[in-house]
Amino acid sequence: MMAELGMGVRPIAGGTDLVVNMRRRTVAPEHVVSLGRIKELCAMDLSDRVFTIGACCTVASLAESSAIASRFHALNEGALSLGSPLVRNLATAGGNLVTARPAADLPPPLMAYGASVTLRSSQEQRVVPLDQFFVGPGRTIMKPTEILTSIVFETSPPFSGSSYIKLGTRRALEISIVSVASFLALERPGGRIQSARIFLGSVAPVPMRARDAENMLIGEIPGQPLFVKAGETAAGESKPIDDHRGTAGYRRDMVAVLTKKTLQAALERAKASG
Amino acid sequence: MKKTIHVTVNRKALELTVEPNQALLEVIREELHLTGTKAGCLVGDCGACTVLLDGKPVNSCLVLAVQADGKQVTTIEGIETPQGLHPLQTAFVDKGAIQCGYCTPGMILSAKSLLDRNPRAGETEIRKAISGNLCRCTGYQKIVEAIVFASRTSP
Repeated sequence: MMAELGMGVRPIAGGTDLVVNMRRRTVAPEHVVSLGRIKELCAMDLSDRVFTIGACCTVASLAESSAIASRFHALNEGALSLGSPLVRNLATAGGNLVTARPAADLPPPLMAYGASVTLRSSQEQRVVPLDQFFVGPGRTIMKPTEILTSIVFETSPPFSGSSYIKLGTRRALEISIVSVASFLALERPGGRIQSARIFLGSVAPVPMRARDAENMLIGEIPGQPLFVKAGETAAGESKPIDDHRGTAGYRRDMVAVLTKKTLQAALERAKASG
Repeated sequence: MKKTIHVTVNRKALELTVEPNQALLEVIREELHLTGTKAGCLVGDCGACTVLLDGKPVNSCLVLAVQADGKQVTTIEGIETPQGLHPLQTAFVDKGAIQCGYCTPGMILSAKSLLDRNPRAGETEIRKAISGNLCRCTGYQKIVEAIVFASRTSP
């Protein structure tokens, strides 16, 4: 249907972004095609190894999922910090990705789990790692003929944990000043760090990975001094700007604090898991 | 090109002809003349336009009317019971939880959705449930007190 309608067509899911932009006349599509009634896009499937989230699952359904709340803490925290309860009942998981806002709440947690997205056109289907999906603010690698159909990631290994913290000045309806998602997997309970992933929001044109900070964690015994150093390293890697929500310097300082805190929370959860 | 939709508004099945770019809010207020639903920010921030869509509170300014096809819509006008005002409405009046009144319909519908799921919800859950509804009179304390009262006294 989208292929038939050509260039002036925009898909609509929750509409929390598109309807606002249409009202502001920053976009004026000739046609909107609703994805909301495609049942396959609204399903969540958690098997032993792989978790698949349909693009049209609402953010409220993620926030209310007991499977997510018990096993994917960072994603639960990301979903609960997005918008307001009213917005979460409309907004979709896929929508929070394709709009590609640097401050979006779902990309950092999903990237911390190593998630990929499935993109489909009427002709073909491809799977792209989420950390190669974003190009710049509001821009992704998606072609106009494609829609995002699902988000997929492998379930976490034993002795792993994750955390997401969003810094804002209010508890709801907030666009983050800085956000950090961390994932840690231990070799065994009380053991060394086997793998680590840290993703930062609102400090670069796209959600960014703090690779140097990750590298200094791997193979080490986890603990507060190490996490403080990792936080400082992540702050050094971040590329924040000054704007009305906060200065670059403040954001960098907060990257250090939130990285340390999310690592600490991820460690506690890793110890309690498995 | 107008589209025909079938929606149930306040338990009444309706067939409506709407513009494809018309928001549900506009249809409710301007076509159905249910003006209890308020138009505030029109960008999904303030919650004045809250309605229940299949029982869940949403900003009706963000929903295209065509997206409501086949769904149940409840506005503030639809929650009165045969016995009179809904207990939440009575609680808002009795506890002085209404100042200018503009946020009230949205507040009550968000609260109703919470209490329908969890009739004994506590203050923390109540504050979270109404976090998408802004009161410019800043009358939150009495609003929360009214909802707490309604939850404690519900049968």
